[in-house]
Amino acid sequence: MAKGFYTDTTVCIGCKACQVACHQWNGLPAEEPGERELTGDSYDNTGTLSALNWRHVKFIEQIPEDRHQNGFLDGSRWLMMSDVCKHCVHAGCLEVCPTGAIIRTEFDSVFIQTDVCNGCRACLAACPFGVVDIGSDGKAHKCTLCYDRLQHGMEPACAQACPTDSIRFGEVSELMALAEQRAADLGAHGIQAQIYGKDDIVGGLNCFYLLVDKPEVYGLPAKPELPSSNVAAALGGSAATAALLAITGAVSFRKRRMDDMSRDESAPEDEP
Amino acid sequence: MSPPLMALQWAVNPGSGVPLPPRWGWYVILYFFVGGLAAGCYAIAAALDLAGEPRDRDTVRTGYLLALPGLLICTLLLIIDLGRPERFWHMLIKSKHVPALLLKYWSPISLGSWILAVFGLFAFVAFVGAVVDAGRLRWRAAERAVAGVRRLPSGVRVAWLALGILAGCALGGYTGVLLVGTTRPVWYNAIPLGGLFLASAASTSYALLLLLLLRRGRAAADPALVKLSDADGWALLIELALVVLLLLMLGAVARPIVSGVYGALFWIGVVIVGLVLPLLLHVRHSERSAFAGLRGRAVLVLIGGLVLRFVVVMAPQWPRVPPWHL
Repeated sequence: MAKGFYTDTTVCIGCKACQVACHQWNGLPAEEPGERELTGDSYDNTGTLSALNWRHVKFIEQIPEDRHQNGFLDGSRWLMMSDVCKHCVHAGCLEVCPTGAIIRTEFDSVFIQTDVCNGCRACLAACPFGVVDIGSDGKAHKCTLCYDRLQHGMEPACAQACPTDSIRFGEVSELMALAEQRAADLGAHGIQAQIYGKDDIVGGLNCFYLLVDKPEVYGLPAKPELPSSNVAAALGGSAATAALLAITGAVSFRKRRMDDMSRDESAPEDEP
Repeated sequence: MSPPLMALQWAVNPGSGVPLPPRWGWYVILYFFVGGLAAGCYAIAAALDLAGEPRDRDTVRTGYLLALPGLLICTLLLIIDLGRPERFWHMLIKSKHVPALLLKYWSPISLGSWILAVFGLFAFVAFVGAVVDAGRLRWRAAERAVAGVRRLPSGVRVAWLALGILAGCALGGYTGVLLVGTTRPVWYNAIPLGGLFLASAASTSYALLLLLLLRRGRAAADPALVKLSDADGWALLIELALVVLLLLMLGAVARPIVSGVYGALFWIGVVIVGLVLPLLLHVRHSERSAFAGLRGRAVLVLIGGLVLRFVVVMAPQWPRVPPWHL
């Protein structure tokens, strides 16, 4: 019963209603109230997902180098995408969390219990998407998939607020079928669209996207990694090094003893 | 009709959608450094306790006396580094199901918390034994406990020390694995990092023991010191080989640690000051190294070990995390 989001970027209009709804429902305050600096990145003044921004609408302006256009906006493109925690099937943050603060819920979402988190920040470096962030309260924060709303049979605030249904909430398998259909429809109109978040992306994303360009263009990693992938090899390397150090140490300690014994053959071993 | 090539693009914020730096700073750098020293000093002392000679007794005692204070400093550094220091115990105990224990062996940070706890037991026993041995603790219960331990069959003692050495190696090496267990570029790819930190823990610990024994008036030609110096030479050689292996494996990914200001620190502080110079000094005076030469070499090794951890922890977090971040 995995629940998640299907975010169809082709119908996103960049209204940021999802960001507002998320802030309102979750009681997230504004960052540096009243002193927010403009980023200069198109209409994006949020910058990144963070401890206070669990939804982030991205704007990508694509214009021909010579600025030539056939007509109004023909030949240029303005991509928009509402980013969020992916609630990964294999979640890096959940994998490393040493306190058990990060859990998988009955909706298969990934949830941070802030009353358990002790702020070690391992999850920050473990998330391949840069989603989890540490708040000024010293605890890790990210999208909860509106766990409190789900428990009462409601859909997450962002999905409910989205006026174009770019953000859809539901059963992941059903959403995936919708996305496949949408990609086929777009293909019939000559628009190449692909789903980001099938099994090839860290075992699947419960919150996946329909994109019309490469993932990197949207600030999504083409090949995200899991933090544990190299741990076994690194542990093996440490063990091999330990063995080498033990051997060379033993040789150094032993050689000295041999040298001494050959130098002074009659010297008796001191009593232990 | 598909759109033409769109070369000019106002892209998304380059900081979005990439693994974040965990904002680990000097508390963690110093923890890695002191943790390596505590682990190394204990393991060396225990090895000499097992296989050494009577004249190594001073080395053994010094190592044992250093391990526990070092470990306590480590624990303190780790606790103040937490966002919620009062919840440090959540690392070992399920806070919602006290007193159920929590170990995720696949997570280096969880494993490391347990390694610290287990190593603490070995370090504590060694410390009490060394203090009683030195006649500094005139507390009858402790003396009786130490006497009781002495009466145990030698097999138990050997097994205990061997396990302690293993715990020391685990503590010295897991700190590097902790960085590999992330998705942050450079760290994620740095598979030899566990071994490198372990070799560095060994070389810096030999250096610290040498320095302290020299300070106590021991001659540089003293066999007890020469064997430490020889072993240090080997550890430095292994460390250098692992640095080369690390750079080869990282390839272009190594850029944050080998270029710019961090790069300069890496080449000068880690490679030249911490590895090449001490190795040259070692080869030159391998048999009868002068007092000043040996001391200088030990200081260089210790500086190199600290700079190594500084560069490896901070360079991949630049520019989001400034080099002075605590």
